[in-house]
Amino acid sequence: MKWNSRIRCALVCLGFTALFSLFSFRLVYLQMIKHDEYAGLAAEKHVDKKKIFAERGSILDANNEVLAHNKPVATVVADATLVTNREATMAILRDALDLPADELAEKLESGRRYVVLKREVPIATATALDQKLTAAKLRGIFFDRDTTRIYPNNSMLCHVIGFTDFEHRGIQGVEASMEEYLHGQDGYRFIEHNRAGQEIVLYRGQEREPRDGYQVHLTIDLNLQNIVENELDAAVREYHPQKATVILMRPQTGEILAMANRPNYDLNLRSEAKPEQMKNRAVIDMMEPGSTFKIVTAASALNEHKVRPDTTIFCENGVWNFGGRPLHDHKAYADLSVQDILIKSSNIGAAKLALSVGDQKFYEYIRRFGFGERTGIELPGEISGVIRPPQSWSKISITRIPMGHEVGVTPLQMIMAMAAIANGGKLMTPRVVKSITTEDGKTITTFSPTVLRQVISPETAAQVSKALRGVVSDRGTAAAAAVPGFTICGKTGTAQKVDPKGGYEHGKYVVSFSGYLPADNPAFVGLVVLDDAKTANPELNYGGLVAGPIFARIAEKAARYLDLQPQEDIGKTSAGRMASTNASHR
Amino acid sequence: MHAPRRKSFNSVNAASLARWIVLTVFLALTGLIYVYLTLQLYHQGDQKKALENELASLRSQNDVASVQIAALTSRSALQRRLKEGYLKMIPIAEQNIVRLNAPRPPRPEDTVQPVANKHGGR
Repeated sequence: MKWNSRIRCALVCLGFTALFSLFSFRLVYLQMIKHDEYAGLAAEKHVDKKKIFAERGSILDANNEVLAHNKPVATVVADATLVTNREATMAILRDALDLPADELAEKLESGRRYVVLKREVPIATATALDQKLTAAKLRGIFFDRDTTRIYPNNSMLCHVIGFTDFEHRGIQGVEASMEEYLHGQDGYRFIEHNRAGQEIVLYRGQEREPRDGYQVHLTIDLNLQNIVENELDAAVREYHPQKATVILMRPQTGEILAMANRPNYDLNLRSEAKPEQMKNRAVIDMMEPGSTFKIVTAASALNEHKVRPDTTIFCENGVWNFGGRPLHDHKAYADLSVQDILIKSSNIGAAKLALSVGDQKFYEYIRRFGFGERTGIELPGEISGVIRPPQSWSKISITRIPMGHEVGVTPLQMIMAMAAIANGGKLMTPRVVKSITTEDGKTITTFSPTVLRQVISPETAAQVSKALRGVVSDRGTAAAAAVPGFTICGKTGTAQKVDPKGGYEHGKYVVSFSGYLPADNPAFVGLVVLDDAKTANPELNYGGLVAGPIFARIAEKAARYLDLQPQEDIGKTSAGRMASTNASHR
Repeated sequence: MHAPRRKSFNSVNAASLARWIVLTVFLALTGLIYVYLTLQLYHQGDQKKALENELASLRSQNDVASVQIAALTSRSALQRRLKEGYLKMIPIAEQNIVRLNAPRPPRPEDTVQPVANKHGGR
């Protein structure tokens, strides 16, 4: 059979048809069946979901003074696969970033596409480096914009502010507790990039704007904080205590006006700080309060109408055997009124007041004053303290707890109890955060004062308050805490330090003073606690002699700053203060 | 003798040619405009990116300046300058403070006090 031209032509056509059909099937297979898979692969190569980071909100004090904010920095990264002239690149980077040559070489030779060379590089340095690299036509080095947290006041208020980690998450203080407000919400943008990794703006996809973090306004007044920090520094220089805490607060609202601890640390050099320096002892440290706790004892007895302020209690002339153990007063007292028990700080008198109230009722009052539970302040790590129920009390506990032994309380709980006396018997929730606003000042949330409960009646609070005036007088244990021109209410505390191995440490004391002024309408309550203060004469290591004068200096300056009206003749009270410095103290 | 050969020309349809030329030019122009506009879009995208970078850079500079201001005006910085003698401040003594509302001694309850009736003149 001979192939004629028509058959040949038909065969060629058939061949082409088969070939093109094959191509068509392949095309349909790739374009339709495998479309999603290959589109995904292509997108993986060229499309990125680029995160747009939200800026962390600032922290400000009550007067809008900046306490924490962000500083733009750059993170220098390398794409080792794009670095061609390694020697020249290394030479420029070494000088600009001050990095060791071997570390730099290791990173650039790693072959990885994303190697962080250095974080937190100042913007000016990064810009100069970028210009140098561009001039030398060197590729492979990129600059990621970032921020670092800056604390302009260094160590001031460090325990309250706290700090963030390198991922900008709050770790301590308000930075941690207000994380949800400070952090903001990151945005994103889908971008396509070319082979060189540069964005093709034309093909920008879906986009969501970031929402920057809110500003957190604290109740802390930096002027008062400054007064407190300076006086605390002076006290540390004078007494070299192991630990020290000072708190100022507004009793009517529970707003913390100042809070300082020693030891402290520089927030901008937080990596160098030791754990001991980072503890906010006002909320995470427990102490036996000593005689300052007698306000709870007296308030419970008065509120239960077991006694009146002028009821006389026999104080056993200085030694009272109860439960087979002697209880001592620092001086021999016979009959003391309830007021005088506070003024003279009689342990025996306080024990007898608690006995009149009874175990269960006294325990209830301790709990009602907020001891044994967290106060709810916006600071992380707060502890509840230790208040044992009456079932686990020993026979003598009812005589020891009234004078502030066998209980563990935080300084914050102690000042809240004193604030309850100052404000007419209301236990407030302490607050360090005043409000949350946007950067342009729009209010998001305002934190209002919260009354936790009415602990004692206003009449009882006034009775205790009247007694506490006597403490800061020639008759009381804290004459040195007097402030010229003002009537002050306060209570001293001197407690032997608890030995972690059991018992008490000989010759080591926790001295404290808690008070408020003006007595009639308190503008602030203060608490000064010094743990293991070293006095020239160990016999003079008392709350009234060590913590009292520190409180007086702070209160005097704070009163001046707050422009409080002196109620008394200043000359007279100053002279009285000088004369009474040598009076007995406890 | 051969008669002089007559020149023969293919006839050209001028109208059709013109139509094709116009169509070709139109297509070519459309293509060129498309390419030009596409390039313009890329170029403007690059410009947009450059402006965004510039804006981000300006914001960074602004933030850096804010940080510097905050650092220089912070309490610790001012105190350091005070210690160095750069700032001169003298504490105000108590006798130098003038109070607008001077404290008054309380009056006995039965004291006759002058009063002014603000609405009396009406």
